[in-house]
Amino acid sequence: MTPLLDVRNLRTYFETDKGVVKSVDDISFELGRGEVMGLVGESGSGKSITGFSLIGLLDENGHIQEGSSVRFNGRELVGLSERELRAIRGKDISMVFQDPMMTLNPVVKIVDQIGMAIRAHEKVSDAEIRKRAIEALDRVRIVDPQDKVDQYPHEFSGGMRQRVAIAIALLHRPQLVIADEPTTALDVSVQAEILTMVKALVAEMGTSLIWVSHDLATVSSIADTIAVMRRGKILEAGPAREVLHHPRHPYTQGLLDALPSRSKPGELLASAATEAAGAMELTGLGSGAIDAAPDETFVKAENIEKVFAPRIGAFHRLGIRWGVMREPSPVRAVKSASLTIARGEILGLVGESGSGKSTLGRILCGIYSPDAGTVSIGGKPVRSDKGKLGTHVQMIFQDPFASLDPRRTIFQSVSDGPIAHGFCTRAGAREYVNRWLRAVAFDPALADRYPHQFSGGQRQRIAIARALALQPEVIVCDEPVASLDVSIQAQVINLLMELRRTLNITLLFISHDLSVVHHLCDRVVVMRHGEIVEEGTATQVFHAPRHPYTQMLLDAVPKLEA
Amino acid sequence: MAMDTRAVKAVSPLTEFWRTFRRNKIAVAALCVVLAIIIVAVFAPFIVPQDPFDLKSLVLRDSRRPPGHVGATGIVHLLGTDSQGRDLLSAIVYGLRISLQMGLVAGGIAFTIGAVVGSFAAYVGGRVESIIMRIVDVQLSFPAILLAFVVAAILGQGKSQLILALVFAQYAYFVRTAHGAAAAERQKDYVQAALSVPMSGWFVITRHILPNSLPPLIVVATVQIASAISLEATLSFLGVGLPPTEPSLGMLIANGFQYLMSGRYWIAIYPGVALIVLIMAINLVGDQIRDQLNPRLRK
Repeated sequence: MTPLLDVRNLRTYFETDKGVVKSVDDISFELGRGEVMGLVGESGSGKSITGFSLIGLLDENGHIQEGSSVRFNGRELVGLSERELRAIRGKDISMVFQDPMMTLNPVVKIVDQIGMAIRAHEKVSDAEIRKRAIEALDRVRIVDPQDKVDQYPHEFSGGMRQRVAIAIALLHRPQLVIADEPTTALDVSVQAEILTMVKALVAEMGTSLIWVSHDLATVSSIADTIAVMRRGKILEAGPAREVLHHPRHPYTQGLLDALPSRSKPGELLASAATEAAGAMELTGLGSGAIDAAPDETFVKAENIEKVFAPRIGAFHRLGIRWGVMREPSPVRAVKSASLTIARGEILGLVGESGSGKSTLGRILCGIYSPDAGTVSIGGKPVRSDKGKLGTHVQMIFQDPFASLDPRRTIFQSVSDGPIAHGFCTRAGAREYVNRWLRAVAFDPALADRYPHQFSGGQRQRIAIARALALQPEVIVCDEPVASLDVSIQAQVINLLMELRRTLNITLLFISHDLSVVHHLCDRVVVMRHGEIVEEGTATQVFHAPRHPYTQMLLDAVPKLEA
Repeated sequence: MAMDTRAVKAVSPLTEFWRTFRRNKIAVAALCVVLAIIIVAVFAPFIVPQDPFDLKSLVLRDSRRPPGHVGATGIVHLLGTDSQGRDLLSAIVYGLRISLQMGLVAGGIAFTIGAVVGSFAAYVGGRVESIIMRIVDVQLSFPAILLAFVVAAILGQGKSQLILALVFAQYAYFVRTAHGAAAAERQKDYVQAALSVPMSGWFVITRHILPNSLPPLIVVATVQIASAISLEATLSFLGVGLPPTEPSLGMLIANGFQYLMSGRYWIAIYPGVALIVLIMAINLVGDQIRDQLNPRLRK
């Protein structure tokens, strides 16, 4: 029997300013009916472009090369006209994208969005559309589909939006669905629900699925076969169990080893990137924390409250009085939260999006002032009414692409703070900065370049060097590895563990990723809706959680299938 | 996509900018025109055949002669002469000099005021921001020409008076743009990072927010310099701009205007053409800069 999809020697090249980029470079694979394939790779591996190439959704400068072949049900798709492809898209092959906010039109009601998708391939009446829209929402387990179809996308949560996107993809009962990182933007608990749902739907409808993801764990829970991509090539493909348990390619092995869930908590992770970056030079660095006396309540936050109330202008107030405008409801981001961190400890702060964990982190770092409560480090307040006091607590941000000023060189970015606060003179800045760059294994010879010339991992190390150069005693890390590839993530985690060991720095590690927190942290605090629901040692929280929410979070974490 | 260890060639943002700019031939041509006009305007006394301010060199017999006329002093009037026997080419070059000067000085002052006030407002926020921005909003609701006309009429004729009028008519556009850009930058992580060090507010505004708000401001600046030049020409044409001793392009057009119907088209048309070429060239350069700085249009 012929396979549903037969890809032979697919090559997709992009013509850019800097020459030809071979995004997909000669790959071949087959996909049977009802089969689920996981396409795994790090950023830039060409996994998404592979998905887009199959149905001809490429940017103007991208071209499928001569000699490539994509046979779908025996029919050649490469070389079809845009019109012929459009007849196939959405009907026989459909797509689910990463960000449901981007694929749903914000000004169109759900019922009409579904209607548009139906009418792209069929002629149907309005009543019929409504009926089928309700059915479609019901199929993806949205509660109250009769009412929900008349709402707009902004009234839906991220998870519900992705369900709608999946419902639309399944409307015409396609034979193949290509899902591009469909759960990456979602919280773990939502991700778990969607994974189970998709798995059930695909099995029920007999649809084939290509699940594109960077995350081996989610892929392992859904895929029958796995293909690992790197630099446009498939390095390894085979049954999921085989690839996960007996990887043949060293790169796959490296990816697996870099997963925190696969090694013992506290151990350095195997990471090729760490080795490639070179040795860290940690000798002779200054830090206020080395040899400091132990202090159980070194960082102390008491009854922190933070409310974000939108400012109401004069006209708005008038509108409220006349009843034509609604009073905006203030958001209680943090509700009487208290926590302590011992000196030299790594405390994990865990929660889903909107739990207030980032806000609490920024209050501890002195960026925001709390509405009530106090924060002190070593007995001294972090912030006065006028602003932040001192440099003994620093912060590392989630997105290393956003946290470095694009118009300042690496040297400028790292030296600004130390010069302003007298850690070095303007003349001695070069030498001072180089020392800290070497500490994070970053080549000081590259310090006069701009951030856009570096990769995510390099930038995050620069951001860490910038924080370290102010010789802090505490560093607040706000999701520092969330936007990084697994191998780079391992490198940054290793770096943080090394720094704690040698410099005795106290860390508050904010993350939604429980496996990373389990690996790195001594103690864990779990937040939900602005409240701290559970607190305990890592071992206790991960093995014997007391709060049902923690239990739910732990169950939702995708694990490599045994 | 670069590997962690692979060295990337160091390219300054400016070099990269020029590489892309170079590809639009029309914009490059427009840039050449702007540069040529600037060079001609700067070196005017060494280029033109006649000093239009030197009354002794004017011969009344040569007035209102068509292009190509050879004057009594032996000068070939390539673009003809005006009603006082002035060589039009010389007058236009000097006119461009004055127009450019007014445009650049007024635009520059408005730019500086706008950038500082706008990013300050965005940085401090709260009531101060509201007050500043509402004043700007009120001003933007009046046509620029009306504001400039009123101020010029009150202050009287003169170069510095006119510059003041132009600045007053235009600074609000810069404040608006700077405020919008700075407010967006204010929220970004690198500003939060600088505040968490903590760096001073002054440092954050001047080293982080302002440099990153520059792209949209530069785009507005090119448009506003062009519009300052046309504003100045309009005011001079209407007689409230520069005094007759400083003949700008607007005044040349005004002088030739009355002869337009009597067949002596060149007196008004050529200064007009010069004005159009100048404004169009600046706008074309500005359009290319805008397209390049707009991340949505970038490949």
